[in-house]
Amino acid sequence: MSVFTDPFDRLMDDLQETARPQREWVDGRGLLLIAGHFLSGVGAGGWAFSSALGFLPGEITSLIVVGLGGLAHLLFLGRPERFWRMVRVRSSWVGRGFVGLNILMAAGVVSLALRATGLGGGGWASAVWGLSLVGAGIVMLYKGNVYAVCRAIPFWNSSLLPVLYVAYALRGGTALLLLFLPWTPLSADHGLIEVLELWIGLSAGVCILFYLTIMANSSVGARRSVEDLLRGRVAAAFYGGVVAVGFVIPVAIGLLNAVTPVSMGVLALVGLASLVGDFYVKYAIAKAGRYLPHVYQAR
Amino acid sequence: MRYGMVIDLKRCFGCYGCQLSCKAEHATPPGVFFARVVKRESGTYPNVRKVFLPLLCMHCETPPCEAVCPTGATSKRPDGIVDIDREVCVGCRYCMQACPYEARYFHAKTRYYFGAQGPTEYEAVGYAKHPTGVVMKCNFCAHRLARGEEPSCVLTCPTHARTFGDLDDPQSAVSRLIKERGGEPLHPELGTGPSVYYLPA
Ligand code: SF4
Ligand code: SF4
Repeated sequence: MSVFTDPFDRLMDDLQETARPQREWVDGRGLLLIAGHFLSGVGAGGWAFSSALGFLPGEITSLIVVGLGGLAHLLFLGRPERFWRMVRVRSSWVGRGFVGLNILMAAGVVSLALRATGLGGGGWASAVWGLSLVGAGIVMLYKGNVYAVCRAIPFWNSSLLPVLYVAYALRGGTALLLLFLPWTPLSADHGLIEVLELWIGLSAGVCILFYLTIMANSSVGARRSVEDLLRGRVAAAFYGGVVAVGFVIPVAIGLLNAVTPVSMGVLALVGLASLVGDFYVKYAIAKAGRYLPHVYQAR
Repeated sequence: MRYGMVIDLKRCFGCYGCQLSCKAEHATPPGVFFARVVKRESGTYPNVRKVFLPLLCMHCETPPCEAVCPTGATSKRPDGIVDIDREVCVGCRYCMQACPYEARYFHAKTRYYFGAQGPTEYEAVGYAKHPTGVVMKCNFCAHRLARGEEPSCVLTCPTHARTFGDLDDPQSAVSRLIKERGGEPLHPELGTGPSVYYLPA
C-alpha cells in the first residue's frame, strides 16, 4: 500500500509493483473521465427510454446530461482544444464513442426542435429520432468496449464488460426517469419504469457477480484486481457504492414496492441510489485495473 | 527494413546505465522512463535469484497503442519505429491503457528535478522539446539513427547486453542472436509482434 500523495512519488512506488495499478483513468483529473462515462451513459439510457415514452422533461434532461458528460470528457483531455481530431473510428472505440456522442446530441436536439415547431409527425422526424437512438446505442456500447480491448489490463480485457456497461447505462436511464416522478405530472408510466429498473438492476448485479467470478479464476493481474475490489484499495467503493447503495437499496425497495406500493418520493430515492451505484461501478472497475505483470514475483 | 533490439538477460547486471543514458539523451522529465530496468527477486532462501528486466517500447509489429489511438497521433513508420506526433495527440491516454509493456508516459505538466529551485540549464533546454498534455515514449533514438548512430541505451550498456539492427535482414547481428540463442519477445501470447527480443538468462 502506497503512503505517497505526490503523483511522482506514487509512480516510483507503483513501478515497483508486479502488477502496477493504472491511475491515469481514475485518479486526479481521471475522475473527470469516470464522470464523463457515467453521465454520457446515463444520459444515453435516459434519452432512449424517455423519448420512447414521449416524456419531454426526461428527454431534455437526458440531452443536458449527455452534454455534461461530453464536457467532462473534454476537460479530462491533456489537449482539449484538439478534441475535433478524435474521429478515427476504424479501430478506436474512443473515436467511435466521440462520433456516437455527437450523433446523439445533434439528432436529439434536432428531434426536439422539430417537435417544438410542430414538425414532429413526419417521416423526417422519425428518421432523425432513429438516428438519435443509433447515437445513444453507440454511446452505451462504446464505454465497455474501450476497456475490454485493453489486453494490457487483464481485469478489463473481457467481453462481459461491454454487456455490463450497457446494462448499467439502461439502468441509469430508468433511474434518471425515476428521479422525476415526484415532481412531474405523469405522462410516463412509472410502474413500467420501476419494473424495468428492478429487472435491469438485478441483471446488472448478476452480471457483476459473473464477471468477478470469471476474473477471480483468471490470470495473475486480473486476480490482483479482484483482490483490490473485495479486500484491498477499492473495497470501500465496491461494498459501499456498488453493493450497498447501488444494488441492495434499489433492489430491496423495488421488491417492497412489488408487495406494497411505495410513494413517489421513495421511488425517486431508488433512482438516486441507482445512479450513485452506477457511478461507483465505473469508478471501481477503473480503479481496480492493473497492468499485466512482466515478472511474476515480489509484491 | 525493420529496426529491432536484442537484450541478453545473461549479460545484464542491472546497472541502470541504459535508463540513465536514455534520460540524458532525451532529457525526459521526472517520472518518465523511456528505458527502465525492473529488478525482482524470486525463490525462497537459500535458493534465491535476482532478475533484471530492461524494458522499453517494443515497437510492436501490430501495435495496440496505434489501433486504439482516436486521432492517428500514434503511427508506425516504414522502418518499424512506432512514433507519436505530439502536435496531433489530444492526451486521452488510451494508448497507455492499451500498451502491454507500460512503455508510455503522460506529460501532465513541466516539473523539475530540484523542485522549487527551478530548472537547471540542462532542463531548461531539454524540456523545451517536450510539450505538456500529451503522451511520450521511446522512439529507438530516431534522431541518432538518422545520423547513423546506435540508440543511446545500446551505446552505453557496459556489458554489451543490447544489440541493435535490422530484423528483416537474416544476416544481421540481431537476427543471428535471436536464431542462435533462442530469443523470445515479452508476452508473445498477445500477438503484438514486439521488435525487442530477450535472450534467456
Ligand atoms: S510497446 Fe507499447 S507503446 Fe511500444 S509499440 Fe508496443 S504497444 Fe505501442
Ligand atoms: S494519448 Fe495521444 S497518442 Fe495516445 S491514444 Fe490519445 S491521442 Fe493517441
